[in-house]
Amino acid sequence: MAITKIIEIPYSLEIPVGPQHPALHEPLLLKVYADGEEVVKVQVYTGYNHRGIEKPAERNSFYRDIFIVGRVCGICNTVHANCYVRALEQILGIEPNNRAKYLRVLAMELERIHSHMLINAVMAEIIGFESLFMNIMLDRERIMKAKEILTGNRVLADYMMVGGVRRDINDEKKNKLLKLLNKTEKRVKYYKQVFMEDDTILKRLVDVGIITKTDVLKHSLIGPPARASGVKIDARASDKYDAYDEVPFNVVVRKEGDSWARMILRWDEALESINMCKYILENLPSDGNPVPDEKRLPRRFPPGEAFTRVEAPRGELTYYVMSDGKPMPYRVKIRTPSFNNIINTANVYLGHSIADVPVILVSWDPCISCMERITVLDLTTGEKKRMHLKELARGGRKWVSPRYSI
Amino acid sequence: MGKPKILDLILKNLLSKPATIEYPKKETVIEPDARGRHYADLNKCIGCSLCSIECPADAIKMTPIPPEYEAPKRNPRKLYPVINYLRCVYCYRCISVCPTNAYVSTNEYRLATTKTIYSDILSLSTLPKKTG
Amino acid sequence: MSYKDVLNKLVEEGLLTPSGEVKPHRPIYVFESGKIRELFTKLIDLAGVEGFYVSTIVGTDLMKDGKVRLDYYVVFLPEEETIVFRTFLPRENPEIDSLLDIIPGVLSGECETYDLLGVVFKGNPALKRGFFVPKDVYEKGIYPLRKDAKV
Repeated sequence: MAITKIIEIPYSLEIPVGPQHPALHEPLLLKVYADGEEVVKVQVYTGYNHRGIEKPAERNSFYRDIFIVGRVCGICNTVHANCYVRALEQILGIEPNNRAKYLRVLAMELERIHSHMLINAVMAEIIGFESLFMNIMLDRERIMKAKEILTGNRVLADYMMVGGVRRDINDEKKNKLLKLLNKTEKRVKYYKQVFMEDDTILKRLVDVGIITKTDVLKHSLIGPPARASGVKIDARASDKYDAYDEVPFNVVVRKEGDSWARMILRWDEALESINMCKYILENLPSDGNPVPDEKRLPRRFPPGEAFTRVEAPRGELTYYVMSDGKPMPYRVKIRTPSFNNIINTANVYLGHSIADVPVILVSWDPCISCMERITVLDLTTGEKKRMHLKELARGGRKWVSPRYSI
Repeated sequence: MGKPKILDLILKNLLSKPATIEYPKKETVIEPDARGRHYADLNKCIGCSLCSIECPADAIKMTPIPPEYEAPKRNPRKLYPVINYLRCVYCYRCISVCPTNAYVSTNEYRLATTKTIYSDILSLSTLPKKTG
Repeated sequence: MSYKDVLNKLVEEGLLTPSGEVKPHRPIYVFESGKIRELFTKLIDLAGVEGFYVSTIVGTDLMKDGKVRLDYYVVFLPEEETIVFRTFLPRENPEIDSLLDIIPGVLSGECETYDLLGVVFKGNPALKRGFFVPKDVYEKGIYPLRKDAKV
């Protein structure tokens, strides 16, 4: 069985928004060796997944780092800022009041909803179902509007500050948010039904990329890929940070372990998040001003170290902050969930056909917003062809017209 | 192979008008407190440079007030902040850290322009010119 | 066995020494760098393969003490408690055994710590210098996260 083709997939990790790019841009290369249609070997060559921030973080003050760290990822920027701010609060020994905790959870859950809608839309686009992709993105705009009402900006919500949040909400905003959430809930239930019953999606996604429970724990996979294989880990339920000890929610677990289970799990989590947001809006405590006075926060931090975990939409995100008494941190270590999920799973692709590689890759929710092109090197004739990931998902055949997707 | 599940949704969309807002013929609906272009009101500024120190993007430079404008007495060093809008990330740290609440925030989101790159014109327009 | 029994047994055998905690409530256990494989093999024996996962590997350059500190953050299931296993390596030649064959999940953490700090994990075939750091930096032999590296 000779290897006749080498497919190199350069894969660019880009931060979607922000004029400031503290992280380096480096491509991730998945060298996939295929025999005919079947994948026999995969090598992962990575660049930087959101790092290059650890060195500048040691040269800026603690408060400037809050904004720098919030720009590591565009889609999950509130959870990055929240994890860093909680680490600072642990070192200082401050705790925010209840209203601030509830508002923080509201911002993070809104982000979870829009992130899950985004990755489901990308999965629909990858398998060629473009009309579904467009419709999900249209409904996602309501959540972006909700984020704008709450934090002042659609994507990058610079909402977290040591001791609370940076803005408060009044009754008028609360009513607007409730109306938007009610409309979105109906649409999310509809899309979950589409994913459960549509023939094309079932044929492409079921039994593709199965991982067992032992594999998940040996390879340190986290987040929805782990929960879809029966492992019940959720940093919100175990650490109970901010208001998660008072807001009721369920940890969603499935046991199939394939790509379909991972996507359905994300819709379930989106529904849970909508319920949490509605509970928070109806039961907001009013025990004081959630906005701390930023002019009175301490400049020098006492020496100490803190390790905080947060449940990002993609998995467990951890921050380690160490301070030694100066106004700048000594060490900041960020471990994003995509770091574990992408690098440690090079062996899941084996045995599947080439068209399954993008489906498996998107089902771990890699934190990028655009996947780039792929070079197909035909070893027998020596010619190189560049293809879009979408063309590869259609089996690499060039005569499939891009207009007829299904 | 059955028909796709969202066929009824597609037919409904076929008969209704597109969802895109035709900007610039119709304005986008934006919140009144969205984070847009901001500038300093020099009647309240005291020239302490805190905004310049705290800016995460290093977008604010303290420059001397030009001699034809009358600087208020509370600004002894006669310095005022000039924001470089192309470096700014609109995090509003400068607004929240100013000791005299001297910043004016607007929801101006149309920021793609070559004319207003620095905030000096906007800030200096809040000061009266020197007479005589 | 619950994670507390596992840790108490390892403390009794002399492999671990408790030493404070990282906020909020994550106890630290210090071990000798030469015994890392023994420690993790015993952890797998006592807690089972499905009893824990290695969450993060953090390396810190303590330039003043002349050491490199390596932390392994391990989460025990089903209670989901995070425990820190800490060891110190000499700064001039930091080397430690790799855990790749018993716990494949440390691949990403070990590759990153090698590329950024220069800690050599003996027995890991995938260590290479261009993993994260761009070419013009690693050609000069700089490890970016060391305190005396100017990048």
